[in-house]
Amino acid sequence: MVRAIRVDSRTKPRPMTATSRPAYLDGKDKKLLKCLRAGDENCYEILVRSFGPRVLATARQYLRSDADAADCFQDTFLAVFESVDKFEQRSTIATWIRGITINQCLMRIRAQGRRQEDSIEHLLPVFDERGDRVRSYTSNRSCGIGDTIDAAQMKRIVRENILSLPDTFRVTLLLRDIDGYSTKETATILGISVTAAKTRLHRARTALGALLQPEMERLKYHADV
Amino acid sequence: MLTCKEFDDFMVDYLEQDLSVWQKFMCWLHVKMCRECAEFVRDYHRYIKLGRKAYDAPDEAVPDTVPEELIKAALAHRESN
Repeated sequence: MVRAIRVDSRTKPRPMTATSRPAYLDGKDKKLLKCLRAGDENCYEILVRSFGPRVLATARQYLRSDADAADCFQDTFLAVFESVDKFEQRSTIATWIRGITINQCLMRIRAQGRRQEDSIEHLLPVFDERGDRVRSYTSNRSCGIGDTIDAAQMKRIVRENILSLPDTFRVTLLLRDIDGYSTKETATILGISVTAAKTRLHRARTALGALLQPEMERLKYHADV
Repeated sequence: MLTCKEFDDFMVDYLEQDLSVWQKFMCWLHVKMCRECAEFVRDYHRYIKLGRKAYDAPDEAVPDTVPEELIKAALAHRESN
């Protein structure tokens, strides 16, 4: 029998920044933590069921294959179970688990080694010898009649395009723009210099823009119709 | 005045307000004078927002439930460790 501690797993945790980090756990978190630390089996199940959907979504956000996301799911909860006693309660449980999930994803990406990544050079702006911008990244893709798109579809398209970016750029963009870490925190997490993080971030954003441009053209097209 | 390439190199710092007053002014001036870069900055902001929005709550990317075998495996994984 699973005890009824209700935890809303669909609530997106706030980014872990120095200014927004919550100081205390709320009542539900405290109750759950106490129960986990007591080694109550039911509470472990509650934890997995409550936070599992968000963990799986985060893993799918960072990792390309469903198999990797499933493995990351297991590794995340194992790491959570092992570190329950070390949790310092300087964030919500959701934020803490999200941090562990991201860490597990990054470890998995690193463990896969430095594969030959697809180049994104063709998606970046081009400058002439005087340093003037010579090519905008506007796409020539044509729009089909009836090719409508709504907000939910747009979200899906954006997520798919983020997922299509090479690991190096995708991870930087997710940490900085989606998970809300500062550029300095992103650099620290990735073990690179702030300058390198800024370069990767700029390239990732520019490449994403180039990939999304055709969809934006379609939206504009339909908005104009 | 900055070239487009030089401005591009400053983009992240420009958006993060991490430039000296002089550099900030030079970037601002470039954007005022260069239509291409002004459009680029506008789109750049738009795509950052679009990216954030794609993961906003309510988030369709978050499944309502996790496959039962994954939950069972995670709990079994714990017991075996």
